[in-house]
Amino acid sequence: MTRIWIVLAALLCVSSSAPAQKVQPESFMLDNGMEFLLLPRKEEPNIVFGAWLAKVGSVNERPGITGLSHFFEHMMFKGTSTIGTSDAKMDADLAARQHEVRAKLRNLHLHTQYSRWKKGEIDDPWDPKYDTDEMAKLRKELQELIAAHAEVIVDNEFDEIYKKAGGTGMNAFTSHDLTFYFIGMPTNKLELWAWMESDRLHDSVFREFYAEREVVHEERRMRIDSTPTGFFDEQFDALFWQSSPYSWPVVGWPTDISNYTIDQARDYYAKYYGPNNLVGIIVGDFDPATVKPMVTKYFGRLKKGPGAPVPATLEMKQMAEKRMYAEGDCQPQVEVRYHGVPFGHPDEHALEMAAEILNGRTGRLYKSLVEDQKIASGAGVRVDTRKYAGAFSFGAECKGSATPAEVEEAWYAELQKLQTEPVSERELQKVKNRVLADSFRRLQSNQFLAIQLAFYESMGGWEYINNAPDRMAAVTGEDIMEVMNKYFDESNRSVAIYTRKAGTASAANDELADIPDAVRPQVKQALQFVAQVSDPAQLEGMLAQIEQQAGQMPPEFKKASDYIKKKIQERLAVLKASSAGSDEAKPQPATTGAGADSGGE
Amino acid sequence: MRSTTMILLAMLCAIANVQADEIPSHPRELTFKPYDFQLPDPAKYRNELSNGVAVFMAPSAELPLITIDMRFFGGTYLDAAGKEGLHGIMGSLMRTGGTKSKTAEEVDEQFDFWAAQAGTGTDQYFVSASLNCLKQNFDDAFGLFIDVIRNPAFQADRMALLKDQMLEGMKQRNDDANSILGREWGALLYGRDHFKGRHATKKSVDSISEADLRTVHQRLIHPGGLVISVTGDFEPQAMLQRLEKLMNGWEKKDRPAKPADTAATFNPGVYHVEKDVNQGKVNIGMRAVQLGHPDLVGIQVMDQILGAGGFTSRITRRIRADEGLAYSAWSRTIPGTYFGGEFRASFSTKSSTVAFASKIVRDEVNRMRNELVSEEDLDVAKKALIEGFPSQWGSEAQRCQRMMEDELRGRPFEYWRTFRDKVKALSTEDIRDIAKRHLDPAKMAIMVVGKWEDIAPGDREGRATMKEFGEVQHLPLRDPLTQEPIQPE
Repeated sequence: MTRIWIVLAALLCVSSSAPAQKVQPESFMLDNGMEFLLLPRKEEPNIVFGAWLAKVGSVNERPGITGLSHFFEHMMFKGTSTIGTSDAKMDADLAARQHEVRAKLRNLHLHTQYSRWKKGEIDDPWDPKYDTDEMAKLRKELQELIAAHAEVIVDNEFDEIYKKAGGTGMNAFTSHDLTFYFIGMPTNKLELWAWMESDRLHDSVFREFYAEREVVHEERRMRIDSTPTGFFDEQFDALFWQSSPYSWPVVGWPTDISNYTIDQARDYYAKYYGPNNLVGIIVGDFDPATVKPMVTKYFGRLKKGPGAPVPATLEMKQMAEKRMYAEGDCQPQVEVRYHGVPFGHPDEHALEMAAEILNGRTGRLYKSLVEDQKIASGAGVRVDTRKYAGAFSFGAECKGSATPAEVEEAWYAELQKLQTEPVSERELQKVKNRVLADSFRRLQSNQFLAIQLAFYESMGGWEYINNAPDRMAAVTGEDIMEVMNKYFDESNRSVAIYTRKAGTASAANDELADIPDAVRPQVKQALQFVAQVSDPAQLEGMLAQIEQQAGQMPPEFKKASDYIKKKIQERLAVLKASSAGSDEAKPQPATTGAGADSGGE
Repeated sequence: MRSTTMILLAMLCAIANVQADEIPSHPRELTFKPYDFQLPDPAKYRNELSNGVAVFMAPSAELPLITIDMRFFGGTYLDAAGKEGLHGIMGSLMRTGGTKSKTAEEVDEQFDFWAAQAGTGTDQYFVSASLNCLKQNFDDAFGLFIDVIRNPAFQADRMALLKDQMLEGMKQRNDDANSILGREWGALLYGRDHFKGRHATKKSVDSISEADLRTVHQRLIHPGGLVISVTGDFEPQAMLQRLEKLMNGWEKKDRPAKPADTAATFNPGVYHVEKDVNQGKVNIGMRAVQLGHPDLVGIQVMDQILGAGGFTSRITRRIRADEGLAYSAWSRTIPGTYFGGEFRASFSTKSSTVAFASKIVRDEVNRMRNELVSEEDLDVAKKALIEGFPSQWGSEAQRCQRMMEDELRGRPFEYWRTFRDKVKALSTEDIRDIAKRHLDPAKMAIMVVGKWEDIAPGDREGRATMKEFGEVQHLPLRDPLTQEPIQPE
């Protein structure tokens, strides 16, 4: 009785608390259609966070130009006809000559090299090591032009000007739906920001249009190729999204990175970087009365664009479950992903609340999969709401000997609970309390405020920051049950199962770690020997010998001998399989370069 | 006549207006008011309780949240050989293992219901405990938070769970090339016996008992050396009284012995660990100065020019902008807290250009030592630090955090007071001399994780090979659970 009373008191206490904080930026639009959000905030004295976003991301691309939005982000730091060159005319001439040579070279890649590749003569049509004589000549010419161009390029002048003015953290990022450019500035230098940003929007010259691709290829290698699950994550995205442009990675496919032409770039820029597709955002210690005329003056010089087309291709309805099995240098893990709803859909908040119920230390997944069943070392769900589509995914890493299949089953059991039993009032109140507290926590820094304004404004409206906490607080147990029954059919899901690749040097060795120190070196020696034996009969003999000795073995050697036995059996299995023509013997399929070094340009 | 004059005047006005309102053709034509930044006064933030505990406070009513952060001396450096992981487990289980009067589940549920974020943990040098919650729940949440800190139960099932999770974490040690690089780098620079080169193993974690945790808790969690910061929506006097009350009867003990430097040294040259990835992950570096070193401001300016200043610094510019060899390439001096730290240059590049990029790093370090930097380069670096100074201070909460960190690490506020003047005073000769004193490619190690067969010969253009950097030592991959070398099969 007392207990119930306490809970009730706690509920009352929370529900009578102040409503979530509201953010009130001053919003206005220039004549050219560029929108601005100004949010003065005194907590960080003397500094402002200046940013702008282009409502463009990989969702606006198509096959052939995947990654172009991200490539633009790189191009935007290369300067203008004023910034970044000692001789604007020479700069333009050299760029134009590069475009010519490069167009010929590209043509040869796409025709000569692709046809040689189709015939199996070369394994990568983009690798310069397969250049024909004509191509080698053109490539040399291109490289000479790039070198000559470097003479009139003032390296990183854009950065240097900001740096000398005390700008900090200048950067940009590209996502599926937006591209965001930002920097921290001392308040007294805000006009410099307006000058620099409006200049690069007004007069971008796409300098180093070819040389910069190498940096992007390296970025791809760093972020995707050389990470434990990078390739698989990319493949799973491509499997999950069928017709939607969300199916390709933001950084782009490697062949496309090598492939963009200057005409494609100019066309894209005209469509998506017009001021009517941009939003300027300033958060920090400034006076809007002086800043408003300043941004009007600087950004007002941009010419209105034709308006950005809406990507027409919507995701097809999924009709059957899809599954991917991957083996790599990674923990056994599982992801189950469902098609959800796009930003602004009425079911969005109920799905978010379901995620809140599942996540966190006292959330259902951690309690059930990690603490009670002990089959996962971590587990959670993620609502990935995008502009034109959405996804809801469950992910967990397996623990100990638990398999991805067990963890997958455990998720379905949790899912079923949410589909059949209403969430308890206390559980719901708990996550509502969290939503309320988080609605304040997210307002604590200029930078984070600006990023949220940008993100939600690009998706459909910054007001989401103010409305979402209230809308989430209004979600009922029935609402959650309803959405859990609406989006989580078997035919609407894709499942990725990851297992650790056996026999790689990096594989952890639980059993070996359990073997006493004194014996371990001998065990390792024995294993090295086993690994070299290729005669199954010899291995069978060794097994028999171990069996014979098992009875007389001192107990501390038991683990060691079991382990050696197991390794011999594994080796035997490998030998038998390969003699029968196993997967290992299959030739690698030809790739178009994701893993290969596509060097050259 | 009059009307013509009027028109002329109007035109002149219009022209004048346009000129006043015209956008300058280059940013150098812009003029700015000087910034009116005032260095915060540390006395405004620092308070001291009667037992000597320092409390930094920065009240702000902007949001109804309160954050309290406590830092106790002692960290993972205290892990004895064979007990690696002990201080980390203690730090983590304080929060997750329940208290003497409440089960772990009750504690979790209570914090969560209040939407309070409470966490404890151990890093190299400190045990930290922090609480962030709504003002309206602060009294209750703070009470439970203190109970967690002072009366942890280290519940057995939670300890088993944590150990399991650590084991799963260990299994991933060789999955990512960067994580291999990080561990081997620490072991090379500080030796495998030093805490920076040692790591928990399955065996060391298995050996940790509840009694071990209690011993560590008793030794470290007390007001001796404790530093506290409080930010957010609170009343300072009431907060001080509350903290004063908390100290009643809490025995103050001595701080643990400070961490010692390593005796280990390493041979300059190339070190390699094999990993089948299409990019070499590279560190190049040597040991460096400790906090408090008189050259530190000069080293920062030098670093700005060499590799820590983003796109404008030489290593980044040459490796990334000029040659397109890497997305990320940088260098900086990381001063040590208790003993010398390290200088590190780092980049990831496709296998064939590892040698060329390494050569660029070596050349640029030599250039810093042998040539005077241009006045222009020095000017950019100085201005970045001086004009960017206000941005380093951020919000009241960030200022409070910085002062707390300085107190813990023994950096006097004088450092900040004189920082800009010291930067201004540096000459190009100073920068060269500092580079000579603190950087030397002949003393540096180059460590590469990647596919050696593709890395060793260098690129097709023949711009460099790995042979140019001295003797190559191939290090074995280590078993993720035992950290013993794995013999190549």
